[in-house]
Amino acid sequence: MSVQQPATVVARPVEEVYADLLANKVPVILDVRNADDFARWHIEGRQGTRVINIPYFEFIEDEEGSLAKVPTDAPVLVVCAKEGSSQFVAELLAERGIQASYLAGGINAWGNFYDVRPVLDAAYGRILQISRPARGDLAWLVVSDGEAAVIDPLRHIEHVNAVLEEENATLVHIFDTHVHADHISGGPALAREHRAPYYIHPYDAIHPLDMLPAKYEYVPLADNDTFTVGRFTVRVIWYPGHTLGQVNYLFTAPTGETFLFTGDGIFLQSFGRPDLGGRGEEWAPILYESMFEKLPRYITDETWILPAHFASLDEDDGQGRFYAPYGKVYETNTTLKEASQMSRDEFVAWILDNLPVFPEQYIEIKRVNIGISTPDEETASELELGKNICALADAYDE
Amino acid sequence: MSETFDVTQELDVRGLNCPMPLVKSRKAVNALPVGGVLKVVATDRGSVKDFQAWAKTAKNIELVAQEETEQDGQTLYIHYLKRTS
Repeated sequence: MSVQQPATVVARPVEEVYADLLANKVPVILDVRNADDFARWHIEGRQGTRVINIPYFEFIEDEEGSLAKVPTDAPVLVVCAKEGSSQFVAELLAERGIQASYLAGGINAWGNFYDVRPVLDAAYGRILQISRPARGDLAWLVVSDGEAAVIDPLRHIEHVNAVLEEENATLVHIFDTHVHADHISGGPALAREHRAPYYIHPYDAIHPLDMLPAKYEYVPLADNDTFTVGRFTVRVIWYPGHTLGQVNYLFTAPTGETFLFTGDGIFLQSFGRPDLGGRGEEWAPILYESMFEKLPRYITDETWILPAHFASLDEDDGQGRFYAPYGKVYETNTTLKEASQMSRDEFVAWILDNLPVFPEQYIEIKRVNIGISTPDEETASELELGKNICALADAYDE
Repeated sequence: MSETFDVTQELDVRGLNCPMPLVKSRKAVNALPVGGVLKVVATDRGSVKDFQAWAKTAKNIELVAQEETEQDGQTLYIHYLKRTS
């Protein structure tokens, strides 16, 4: 993309780096932050991207030894916290003839980067994906006949507002699939700004550990509630298990095509874990019933699955879009498929044997998401640092 | 904490961002006599963890203390580095 002059290093904007990650054109990422910060979170590309960590001070301490660890056969993208150290190291690499660039704005820019792209463009309406790739978070906007509904909006609501403006649509419904524990919802803020109803299931309006009620206005959902968004009809499917009040939203187009917004229910790989409310043993059987007994009554193999998270860029359709028809999800989501072949008791035993770590900050994020705690920007940003661990499959990554 | 050792030299890197506080500190430590202590005054918050990690791997540096103080509404991160050999 950028015009390269020999022996100079280029600062690459995050949008450009993301496009290259999706196109599998970032062979090597060299992260020069200290090992602790790197371990906490770092940029992950597709499988073809090699990510290595050599702190910048090791280049200062032992320039030759550190340079020897850097691959010389491919261009290197250097990343640090802000920008300075990555530029410093990229210049060292360039002096040795390695083609080097660095991420403008560093890991902070990556953490706050949002990507917006349409996934459906039909005569009756559009569906847009708003993703925050650093966290693997997905929000969705459905637009039809000048009306819009947002599902699982993320904290930075300016991205939703920008799409609404571009689509010239009025926000009529703000749907959260559940009260999230891994990131701060943009729902209440959007509700205030657009004077549109914010919906959650009442079972999620109580903090599961504090046992305290939500302190903001919301419209309580019930199983089988229906809504419209332009020419789409929407049905609420109560889907307890990940949380007690999780729902899935089933959108039906005038053509009969169906779109299921699953939140932290079924992901493209794996599915939402049942233990984040501190009641894994009690909630695992409920999750089994929701996932394998209730949901199949509403969907077909053609129903699109549009989740709230992805764990890896490779879950996309090859073009940065994180959805797939259920028939394909069932075939490629090995965790889901395996689980579906178990009895309820086998499933519960297997879940309890495979629980991933419990992230402490999730307790506080849930407080924020029911309005009983209000963080400043720095705290909010700190709470959301790193990638979500809502899926069961993360157990195997630890 | 600074009472327990004598500061040989002071280095002001206020306003400088990563990697400069560390680059300048490395040069200043090299100029110290063995056993000497360099006091580094920084405003870059990232320097706290970076200096800890750096001192663990660096050849002749011991991080003898770190302090945080407020001055004129600004947080200062102070590092004491000892040249060990």
